[in-house]
Amino acid sequence: MFEFCVEPSQLQGLTWLSCYLTTGKHMAFYTSFGTVLLLLALTAPTALLFGFCGAVASRSAIAPLRWIGRTYVAMVRGVPDIVFFLFVPIALDQGFEYIRHMALCPEVTEPIRRGNDFVVCTAAKLPLNADPQWMHETYGFLLAVLSFAIVFGAFAGNTLRGAFEAVPKAQIETAQAYGMTSRQLFWRILLPQMWIYALPGLSNLWAILTKATPLLFLLGVEDIVYWARELGSMKTSAFSYPHPNWQLWYFLGLLVFYLLLTWVSDRAFARLMARFNLGQGRTGSDTAAAGVGR
Amino acid sequence: MTSTSVITLRQVRKNYGALEVLKGINLEAREGEVISLIGSSGSGKSTLLRCINLLETCHDGVIEFCGEPVRWQGSGVTRQPADKAQVIRMRTQLSMVFQQFNLWAHMTILGNVIEAPVTVLGRDRNAAVEEALALLDKVGIADKAEAYPAQLSGGQQQRAAIARALAMKPKALLFDEPTSALDPELEQEVVKVIQQLAAEGRTMVLVTHDMKLAHDVSSHVIFLNQGVVEEEGPPDAVFGSPKTDRLRQFLHATSPAVAGA
Ligand SMILES: Nc1ncnc2c1ncn2[C@@H]1O[C@H](COP(=O)(O)OP(=O)(O)OP(=O)(O)O)[C@@H](O)[C@H]1O
Ligand SMILES: [Mg+2]
Repeated sequence: MFEFCVEPSQLQGLTWLSCYLTTGKHMAFYTSFGTVLLLLALTAPTALLFGFCGAVASRSAIAPLRWIGRTYVAMVRGVPDIVFFLFVPIALDQGFEYIRHMALCPEVTEPIRRGNDFVVCTAAKLPLNADPQWMHETYGFLLAVLSFAIVFGAFAGNTLRGAFEAVPKAQIETAQAYGMTSRQLFWRILLPQMWIYALPGLSNLWAILTKATPLLFLLGVEDIVYWARELGSMKTSAFSYPHPNWQLWYFLGLLVFYLLLTWVSDRAFARLMARFNLGQGRTGSDTAAAGVGR
Repeated sequence: MTSTSVITLRQVRKNYGALEVLKGINLEAREGEVISLIGSSGSGKSTLLRCINLLETCHDGVIEFCGEPVRWQGSGVTRQPADKAQVIRMRTQLSMVFQQFNLWAHMTILGNVIEAPVTVLGRDRNAAVEEALALLDKVGIADKAEAYPAQLSGGQQQRAAIARALAMKPKALLFDEPTSALDPELEQEVVKVIQQLAAEGRTMVLVTHDMKLAHDVSSHVIFLNQGVVEEEGPPDAVFGSPKTDRLRQFLHATSPAVAGA
């Protein structure tokens, strides 16, 4: 990075450290913090949207829609998260490639599943083999976002469903008595009142989502855990910057990062909750019982 | 009396499973009349009121609103109103005031009052606000327009709920024990508002445990007992010279001062 870093073996002390901490790999390490934050920033709203659709569908008057919603919301209960995180990206990836295979290479007659292998024609590959490296990485990352969103969407759906149900019946009945249609009732009464019951559960879920980001590592995305292990492990003299096993320090760094993240988001949720409570003229204790977990 | 009938019930029946709650009720509220429903707990007063604005569906009998009968489909326990638009139209002309106030918790008092006029009736927002402020002033809580329901006392909340009911410019008001959830001193501020409305000639159906209020404001009192109209008549007759033992017992038990005349 710095000009004086050309000959690492000649360096000492802080100079060595400053050069060491600015190597290309360290830069990738720092960027991976951004990756984690980006994942959170993309996943949270998407999951909320999925969850919202799931919750609304599960309460729908239309039976097939209700079944889909209920199945989606129920599917994550009882199945370990990690199984989902491993299953969903593979399923999505193969699903996309299968559809492209059908559309792009109709002339290929051989089956796609050959024994244990899943083989699609070259044109159907996602991304194409010829595509640059960044496209492969982006595709992997987007698959990860989608997997997180699907899994956490189901959790969120469960929370939101509980929150919809927690809105007092008298509030709904009064709206009916004043002539509201079910659509007006939903947008004017149910939705605005639901959040206060959903917020404790959603904040809980956010904490779980934050803590689940190291699973990115399992999905093949080079995240902070990957780099901490990689950079922290012992480097022999064959490396430019040899050092003993420093994983402890690297993981300590991650610890601080996650604690900071949790601290900041806890504060944000506390403020949000206070605003909702003020809006409803309630005290915190009224809604404490409404903390519907995932 | 030549004034037109606003609410007419004929032979209204309602069951909850095997329990027959209303066993053929007749009721008529003409324009400007105040009908009071009295009776012991569980006699079916709330159920009757809720049947009137179709929050509950009665299983048999006729409900007419300004001469227009509710259209039904099916019969017996599966009977349902046939026309959703009709249900909504009737509900907008019948405003309900609940025992527990039921103000919408996420809206200010002003928001509560203008909500249905704007959302349901599609009235102009600014005009609705102006009318709402006038109504809040009328019930004596103009200064609370921007407060949230939970920041008000029970009496203030109930007065806000009455303002909300009036904002619909309904043909009739339905009250379900509007003062029962209130402390005695708060009760009076709501009673005054109801008396004022009665004096203005509003059509009202009032379920109440307050025999003095029923005596003061009613044009007609109905004593309900186990789902039947046990006795009815002008307030002076019902409270002054009850004919049935049941009513005598009931009046004696609830308010000896009035019944003891
Ligand atoms: N949703 C319901 N399901 C089953 N039974 C009900 C239901 N609502 C009311 N009931 C029963 O119907 C009967 C009449 O109830 P209702 O609430 O109309 O009485 P009420 O005269 O208003 O009594 P109160 O003075 O206590 O308010 C009661 O026996 C009650 O238990
Ligand atoms: Mg009742």
